[in-house]
Amino acid sequence: MKKRVVALLLSLTMVAAMLAGCGNNAASTDKTSTANTSTDTAKTDNGDSSASSDDLLVVEVYDEAANYQGTQTGWFAKVVKDRFNIELNIIAPQVAGDAVYQTRTATGNLGDIVLLDPGHFVDCVNAGLIKDISGEIKNCSNLMEFDKQITTYNSGISTTGAVYGIPCEMTNTSPTSFSDDVIYSSPMLRWDLYSAVGAPDIADLDGLLDTIKLIQDANPTNENGDPAYGFSLWPDWDNNDGMIGIANVVQLTTWYGEKIKGAAILTKDDKFIPLTDKNGTYYKMLKFLWKANQMGLVDPDSGSQNWDAACAKMSAGQVYTFWYSWQVGFWNTQERLADGKGMIFIPVKDQLYYTTSDTYYGSGRIFGVGSGVEGEKYDRIMKFLDWYASPEGVTFQHCGIEGFNYSVGADGKYTIMNDNALMDNLPVPEEYGGAGYSDGNNAINQWIVSSISTNPNTGEPYGNTHWSSWKEATATKTKNEWSARFGVAEPVDWMKANNALLVRPSVSVSLPTEDADITVIRNQVGQEVKDASWKMIFASSEAEFDSMWDTMVTNLDSLGFQDLYKFDVDKYTIELDAMKAAK
Amino acid sequence: MFKTRKQREGFKEFLLVLPFIIIIAIFCYYPLYGWIYAFFDYKPPQALTPDKFVGLKWFKSMVENPVKVKQILGVLRNTFAISGLSLLFSWFPMMFAVFLNEIKCVPFKKFVQTVTTIPNFISWVLVFSIAYSVLNSTGVVNTILLNLHVIDRPIDFLKSTSHIYFKQWLWLTWKNAGWAAIMYIAAITGIDEQMIEAARVDGANRMQIIRHITIPSILPTYFVIVMLNLANFLTNGMEQFYVFQNSFNKEYIQVLDLYVYNLAMGSGGYSLSVAVSILKTIVSIILLTLTNGFSKLVRGEGFI
Repeated sequence: MKKRVVALLLSLTMVAAMLAGCGNNAASTDKTSTANTSTDTAKTDNGDSSASSDDLLVVEVYDEAANYQGTQTGWFAKVVKDRFNIELNIIAPQVAGDAVYQTRTATGNLGDIVLLDPGHFVDCVNAGLIKDISGEIKNCSNLMEFDKQITTYNSGISTTGAVYGIPCEMTNTSPTSFSDDVIYSSPMLRWDLYSAVGAPDIADLDGLLDTIKLIQDANPTNENGDPAYGFSLWPDWDNNDGMIGIANVVQLTTWYGEKIKGAAILTKDDKFIPLTDKNGTYYKMLKFLWKANQMGLVDPDSGSQNWDAACAKMSAGQVYTFWYSWQVGFWNTQERLADGKGMIFIPVKDQLYYTTSDTYYGSGRIFGVGSGVEGEKYDRIMKFLDWYASPEGVTFQHCGIEGFNYSVGADGKYTIMNDNALMDNLPVPEEYGGAGYSDGNNAINQWIVSSISTNPNTGEPYGNTHWSSWKEATATKTKNEWSARFGVAEPVDWMKANNALLVRPSVSVSLPTEDADITVIRNQVGQEVKDASWKMIFASSEAEFDSMWDTMVTNLDSLGFQDLYKFDVDKYTIELDAMKAAK
Repeated sequence: MFKTRKQREGFKEFLLVLPFIIIIAIFCYYPLYGWIYAFFDYKPPQALTPDKFVGLKWFKSMVENPVKVKQILGVLRNTFAISGLSLLFSWFPMMFAVFLNEIKCVPFKKFVQTVTTIPNFISWVLVFSIAYSVLNSTGVVNTILLNLHVIDRPIDFLKSTSHIYFKQWLWLTWKNAGWAAIMYIAAITGIDEQMIEAARVDGANRMQIIRHITIPSILPTYFVIVMLNLANFLTNGMEQFYVFQNSFNKEYIQVLDLYVYNLAMGSGGYSLSVAVSILKTIVSIILLTLTNGFSKLVRGEGFI
């Protein structure tokens, strides 16, 4: 009997402990989502607002641009804390997985500050997860600098004059100007190697392949003896952002003035053709890579390596062709530029380079404030966002720390210092905490103001590669020889001089979001195109390449490609009309 | 409150199992509520409302045309092939345990056991990064083969689809064999020492002892494990195939769990993927019932 009593007691304790455990869990989950609101409400109730702004405020940032999840640390955390006593807790679906979007939206609280892709943003506004900030934003002088862009965006999603979103990467230039010296995607080769094979004129894609072949044959390995290839591709980005197909190939299509919009291709003469059209550039560029592989120019690990492995190869000089403008960041140091070893744009005569103008109206993603944010917390968040768009805030985001990343000259202009701070994670000065620069960099990873915007303090753009001091410093062998060969100062100058640049104006329109059916079709179509494309690049013969293409097209039709194409044409016609109107 | 002592005892016993009932209810039955998503056009962040009810649309869409049927059949083929292969070799951990038990040098035995058990605790992501660094075009294997002039250009191991099921089984076995053997080692320890001693007195040699005493004694354990595996026939876990998948081998290693994941997490085809997983559950229940029936036929007792 005694044993039974003990057993009973034990089991009761267990149940009690379990229930208590559950209770605690539930409570603590609640706390993580509403802790800030509740503490703040408590504070407001006390009516002691002056004291409460001294309290540390943890702000949850749901951030689709972030590559880092957790509390912001390092120098940027210190900058924010010193000014607002705010700590940023970043929730990054790129790290945590997309399911976090589904679960957080289901609870009705996505975050205090949200940064979303445009489709998600509209969905969340409709679901009531985003706060109307039209009242408060009027007091934010820095954000009001972009009043026109913000109003234009919001008039697309609300007819009542409500303001929900603040676009990212807006500029203070104009919607039709193009201020950059390079465009996002163009063929780039190593200058010394290109010169060594005679710096030939390149007429078309075949000519480009021949040149790369010469380069690779002359230099089968990098300086360390590791094999080097003309192209090294990676599959990580395929089918991201509603794009269809291999991300690398999708980017290459802009060399011929075309732009892939979902399942459709926008041609240079303002028409839409299906992605599966054999006359379109997707087919053309896929075939280009197939030919490259036939010539032995494609890294055999392409398609199975990840982005990190691909980056390591770029930094080690194992890749001879770049086509994203940011790729040069992995190779072009000042020293290499001075040695003539820099990667630089090499024109191909028959190409027409596509680019969009300055992202005056924003580049796509949207900032918003969660609908649950109230009271003093709301105040402080708006003040933070206003600072985030202020010259001081933007300077921290794009230029870094004064006296560490740049120095201010007598004329007020900036000169770059420690240009390897990010690459080598250099320790920042003690007053900023002393930790690594890269570790403490702004983890929100997206800006309200673009780096091409003019800094009112210097009269030059924020981005350091546009500073006159930087241009002077990098006017070394690579750049000088390149200019002598092509007779212009910058790649974009060559494109303009040779009528090889197609600039689409930056517009702000709200595009229709898709329903569950189209979502599933897009997913299945995307997988099919992706898988087939990779196999096609590595196909053993042209006949096999074409038969794979035909099979893919047949399969796509069964997966509902036509519906998707129709949806995307309707969707992007709205954008195209706006572009035509803006010209 | 209780009329008889028996009732009171019954209630006490009920209280004893109550915690487990609650756990099962929360973690096994409550999630079934999620099945509701298969009958709606669901797209986050919108809530489920009656106007989004679509009945069996997503179930029908799985088989609405030959290409989709082919896709599903391909996925099932992979699932059956990979599960079938592990079932076929399910004796492997048992034999491993038996032979491990025969090692008389204790330090060596412990060493082997530790080395084979550790991989179980390495996540698949790390396993893949090991695989990648060993097998990529400049990895150890290719470098050695190239230097020995066995091949003149690197072999694309990770893209190749030849013997893919077997290779995946090898990875799985490398990771799991030591861990799976633990159960058998425990069973072997439970064998009555007297039987073995008697056999030795009768002049049985080592192999004979293994064959006539060790293996028959642990066979019941083996059968239970096999049958549990059979019920899980459709579940071969998605992590392994998720990390190894690429566009070249996906046709052959996309198993049911991975297919569900790719559908839902790829870009939000939640409803369709829930529908697929419901079908999976139903097939699993059927398999479980069948194996149970089979077990009753063969062994005279079921396990449920």
